[in-house]
Amino acid sequence: MIKKLVLLGLVTCFLTSCVVVKGYEKVKINDPDMSLSDKSSHRLETTFQSYREASAGANGGKTGGGCGCN
Amino acid sequence: MKKIFISILTFTVAIGFAQEKKQDSINTYKKRVLETIEVDFLTSYYSQDGDNAATSGGIGSEELTDVTATFIVAIPLNDDDVLTIDTGVSAYTSASSSNIDPFDNDIADPFQASSGASSGDVWTNLTGSYSHSSDDRNNIWSAKLSVSSEHDYFSLGFGGSYTKLFNEKNTEINLNASAYLDTWKPLYPSELTTSNPGKYGTITGNLNYNPIFSEFDSKNRNSYTVGFGVSQILSKSIQGSLMLDYVNQQGLLSTPFHRINFNDIEDSFIDNFQLADAIEKLPDSRSKIAIGGRLNFYINDIFVVRTYYRYYNDDWGINSHTASIEVPIKITDKFTLYPSYRYYKQTEADYFAPHEQHASSNEFYTSDFDLSKYTANQYGFGITYTDIFTKTRIWKFGLKSIDLKYNQYERNTGLKSDIITAGFKFIMD
Repeated sequence: MIKKLVLLGLVTCFLTSCVVVKGYEKVKINDPDMSLSDKSSHRLETTFQSYREASAGANGGKTGGGCGCN
Repeated sequence: MKKIFISILTFTVAIGFAQEKKQDSINTYKKRVLETIEVDFLTSYYSQDGDNAATSGGIGSEELTDVTATFIVAIPLNDDDVLTIDTGVSAYTSASSSNIDPFDNDIADPFQASSGASSGDVWTNLTGSYSHSSDDRNNIWSAKLSVSSEHDYFSLGFGGSYTKLFNEKNTEINLNASAYLDTWKPLYPSELTTSNPGKYGTITGNLNYNPIFSEFDSKNRNSYTVGFGVSQILSKSIQGSLMLDYVNQQGLLSTPFHRINFNDIEDSFIDNFQLADAIEKLPDSRSKIAIGGRLNFYINDIFVVRTYYRYYNDDWGINSHTASIEVPIKITDKFTLYPSYRYYKQTEADYFAPHEQHASSNEFYTSDFDLSKYTANQYGFGITYTDIFTKTRIWKFGLKSIDLKYNQYERNTGLKSDIITAGFKFIMD
């Protein structure tokens, strides 16, 4: 599993050398719904997930600390 | 794993710098990073219920409601620098935590909320962050400091990140690190904090009640995170990202008020409430690694597809997979719908067993079902209103957008929850 993920990472890195989309071609990429980060309002949802689930990381995680133990 | 992490990082940075155009250093028109003050007001209502409360040893009501309000104010200090102040309050009532002391009621029962002081709490948080962008906007540094407080928990956090854009802003790498230095003010099950538990009522079952209990020496919990991310535009309508996080925790990782009932010790009760044989005991260190990826597709002017996958592993024996999909649908130029689905699956921690399944000879034990094996499905639906002209005004602020979303979450262990979130974004004249 880990090997596959590392391979995927390396493939992505290679892609950086072959794709250049010019600024004026980024109309679709710049659409707010294409953002690679979540909307700010999504973080309250992520917070409850990080409290109720045993795993966290690579998802924005909780903000501001706290034990989430209730 | 560290070698792999360093290899990916070195490789990506090398490619990025090789691709960087000289034009990045040429003086060009400099757009402000943030044109004006922006204010986000976020609020949520969360409700859950289930029958596996860790406070009463893995059985009992998990009923909980939580209301949160958060203000995020982003202030441009000049063309390059932005200060963000983030303050939040979260107030909850919890049947589970109320049963830290279940003997306030006429009849103590793990499925009934108690009326004691631990039945509710308020979490407050203040986070300040500062970011600086280089003139060519290809380098971004940020730092943050946060403080949060609950009745039995205090957290001090700080961190920083560096982001580099290159390849004509088609590629972005990010390095980040943070630390949370937390301190418990431990609350223990009430029957363990007295030499005479019989004062709470008549003990039945095993009359020779003799729990295994001593207070925790260490009350600190420190969490350290380092993360690496790379995002890439793959075509005019597809972009994706990969994120790798490593988290290390040290200190008091057990929750002091989680009860344990052993299968080799005879049960003692007051009313319907089974008295604790011990409290949760978990190792004092934990290492986690998570690898996640996003891939977004612009299908056409109406549909966008947003996908996400994450794999997680830690040294407590937990592996998890998360996959989600969201399909924004633009129904008009002002309204967008957001149907979404999220799947989550985890294995159980090495130290988990349900109520009455642990032996007292075990070194570590927990009956917290958040650490059990389960799968969860989450269904969501949201709607967003956007007004780029900000015609609706409150004082000097124009309303830019409203987000409303409802999510339903179901575990195969029986826990169900609902969360309603709302977000309002304002920009100053």
